[in-house]
Amino acid sequence: MTTEHEHCYVVDGKLALPYQYLAGRVGSKFIVSLRDKKQILGVKCEKCGIVFVPPRQTCEKCLADLTKSWVELSDKGEVTNFTVVRKDDKHHPRKAPFVIALVKLEGADTPMAHIVEGIAPEKVAIGMKVKAVFAKTPTNTILDIDHFEPI
Amino acid sequence: MGHKNRHVGIIGIGQTTYSSHREDVNQPEMIQEAVALALKDSGLKIDDIECVVHGNMELFEMIHQPDIWHVLGDGGYGKDAYRITTGGTTGITLVAAADNLVASGMYDIVMAIGFEKLQEGHTTGGITNMADPLWGRSLQTGALTGATAKDMINEFGEDRARRAAMRHRITLDKHAKLNPNSHRSFGLEYDQVEDLMDNSPKLVGELRLIHMCSQSDGACAMIFASEKKAKELSKHPVWIRDHITVHREETFNLFGHDVPELTHHYAARKLFERNGIKVPREYFDVFEMYDPSSWWGLDWLREFLLLEGDEHLRMIENDDISINGSFPLNPSGGVISANPIGATAMVRVAEAAMQIRGDAGGHQIPREVKHALASGFGGTMWTVLFMLEKELGWEEID
Amino acid sequence: MATYFGIAVDDIFNTMQARFRPEGAAGMDAVLAYDITGDGGGCWKITVKDNTVKIENTDDLAGFSVKTTVDAETFVGISIGKVDGMSAFSSGKMKVEGDMSLLAASPRLFNRFTPPKKGVTVHDIFATLVERFRPENATDLDMTIGYNIGGDDGGQWTAVIKDGKCVLETGLRADATITQIVTAKDFVDLVLGKLDPMVAIGAGRLRIAGDMKAAGIVPKLFAKFTPADAGEEQELIVLKRNISVNMKYSTGRHLGMFLDALKEKKIIANICPKCGRYQLPPREVCAECRCRVEDFKEVGPGGVITLIEDVYYASPDPLTGETRETPYGTVHVLLDGCTPDCTFWHFLKNEDLGNTKEGDRVQPVWAEKRDGGVHDILYFEKENG
Repeated sequence: MTTEHEHCYVVDGKLALPYQYLAGRVGSKFIVSLRDKKQILGVKCEKCGIVFVPPRQTCEKCLADLTKSWVELSDKGEVTNFTVVRKDDKHHPRKAPFVIALVKLEGADTPMAHIVEGIAPEKVAIGMKVKAVFAKTPTNTILDIDHFEPI
Repeated sequence: MGHKNRHVGIIGIGQTTYSSHREDVNQPEMIQEAVALALKDSGLKIDDIECVVHGNMELFEMIHQPDIWHVLGDGGYGKDAYRITTGGTTGITLVAAADNLVASGMYDIVMAIGFEKLQEGHTTGGITNMADPLWGRSLQTGALTGATAKDMINEFGEDRARRAAMRHRITLDKHAKLNPNSHRSFGLEYDQVEDLMDNSPKLVGELRLIHMCSQSDGACAMIFASEKKAKELSKHPVWIRDHITVHREETFNLFGHDVPELTHHYAARKLFERNGIKVPREYFDVFEMYDPSSWWGLDWLREFLLLEGDEHLRMIENDDISINGSFPLNPSGGVISANPIGATAMVRVAEAAMQIRGDAGGHQIPREVKHALASGFGGTMWTVLFMLEKELGWEEID
Repeated sequence: MATYFGIAVDDIFNTMQARFRPEGAAGMDAVLAYDITGDGGGCWKITVKDNTVKIENTDDLAGFSVKTTVDAETFVGISIGKVDGMSAFSSGKMKVEGDMSLLAASPRLFNRFTPPKKGVTVHDIFATLVERFRPENATDLDMTIGYNIGGDDGGQWTAVIKDGKCVLETGLRADATITQIVTAKDFVDLVLGKLDPMVAIGAGRLRIAGDMKAAGIVPKLFAKFTPADAGEEQELIVLKRNISVNMKYSTGRHLGMFLDALKEKKIIANICPKCGRYQLPPREVCAECRCRVEDFKEVGPGGVITLIEDVYYASPDPLTGETRETPYGTVHVLLDGCTPDCTFWHFLKNEDLGNTKEGDRVQPVWAEKRDGGVHDILYFEKENG
């Protein structure tokens, strides 16, 4: 087959639609607690012995109902992995470069993705201790923790 | 064994209730409700499931690869898993895939999950995206079209066609009233035909709001097993006899004066031919049709049942399609009454299977159901058609 | 005043001024009229202009942009989220005249109506006292608990506990084992856990007469009081976003040729070499015959309408996210020279909507500036029109 490019061109377009996301009872309790009490909540599966953060309605392994198994967590944790975002995009929460890290809070078994600030990206390291800095104005999202910063 | 490697039975069914308001749960939590019910229905534990097939519509909630997130609630952790999306047919394509996966011998027990949370997106806007971005997208209004209404009015006269479409709508509303899972039932009565056909707001042409399906949130999960496992695990497995998938054009073609054989008719003709079904209207005890609007539901009855002339209109006018009639259509209330799109086409098979099991509850057909037909519809006239049986041992035609 | 779900129609309109969101009214100049029928109904006129709102209770609804007629119960139900507006509209319970798209925009104009929180009353607490009784903690117990509760919402009650049963009487008994003396507000706060009992006793706000030792048992005798609507009180988070992603679409050669021809005011179809059908816009293969389609031919530009779709439903244009203005018409036109199974899809001139029918001849109206897109043709209009 020959490759012919005459008449072939690329047209700029858009895909734009309205959406809404519903956090549900479990997710809403988590966000409202962050926003109003500066308190990070998780849930614990007694059977599997796992503390999940952010919380979820059921244990992904045994499908047990976790809606009554709330645990309060520390606002401190450690970086278990991270990446440096170096390209700007309108959907990103910060201007590049910035650090997205997996932060495992004290008492949690699952790490949570969040922004790490207050340190040069090249100095971020796995194992680093960090602390949550809560947002001054509510966002009704996970960004009610504004970011984590080194202790 | 015909063209299937081994028999496959439906051994578990779970449905959430369908609603426009599910602020209380996020997507995986909603799915979990259906999964838990399907497991309970089958008596299985999540560890018994070997493979999870998961699907919904693209763009409706604008979540990329939702199957990954949904592992939180769907029980797919550590299992083989597939994501399938084929438009409105998604739910029934999931059933086709699960059937194929078990029939092939690849897995003995497969769970299929269809869901949608239409409250989270814009359904019509999402569907409009199925059109070519450089042409049809500027012209299309989702799945809304008055074309079928116009064709039927031309063929049968305005008064008869409009009355038949409203009568179809009211019958399904009455069915929906019997189904506690249904999103909507207005409590319509046949004496409202004239009022509604004149006063319900117009969407496109003679397609009015009352004719069109709801936009629902909900999920459906089904569990499928090989013949051996199904007989071991279930008191009342429902057998998947055969299924067919047909689509013809990559674009939503509105034909001019020469209309070719429609995919519904083609699918039904081929499926019935290869299964030796001579008179489908007599063979099947129930039909769960994917009827996005009353105009389509009415028109497609003729296509699927390979009817001639105005027999489909007469079936409506004589109430043959009511739950107590000679050919019950959508005893569940159909798509018009509840439409969580990615689950909708699966619900057709699930509801047909419940009729065969005899445990559909308030909307159970009051006589034995042995043979059931279920259809899915989507995209540019995609058709998927399923035949379910109460007993094995049907005559195989090669 | 008739109320529905505990709320009057007036409550909703009277709070509208306070709930108005100027940012949601940007660019809007409209009059939204409401004719609320039935008990507790009435007529209201909401005028939105220059980011301000005026709310009037008036029977003169003339000059409205959109008018909604609905019964009071349905109206209240929709306003507080108990009734699905779409369902009410579909079933004809709610009727709308005029520009429907304004109604779709109206939720942006006001913050959601939240019913004033009805506080827990002393009577609420006593209404469930007996059912909250825990006989397992009252084995062999024989005591009477008096409640002397002051204030407007107060009253006097006595709970008689004997033989593992609890009976509630009104009034006080002089021989009660213990009697609590407290104001209504403090009593409610104590029950809800907002006021610590030791603090209350220390401050003299709660007095207990009688056997103080028995008072220690009382909390164990009853399960915790939970307000009836506790389940609905949780704030549920909803995040609204308009997602807009930049895209690039490739025309490919077949659609590219078609779009290029539009610039020259030409419409070209391609013709399947096997079945001979025309395709518009041209596509690379014939889906029927599964073969490549390389023959192109100019068709039209005039033709016959085979279908008119008059669209009333205002949907978003996914290319922009903007809501389309309705009504508008699209037409499927069998262009001159095409095979009868191939129609061409485009818009109908707005002025021709309503006076054009299937079978009429139409012609394209070309845009002055054409850049190879669907809008190179503005619309089709009636020939000789």
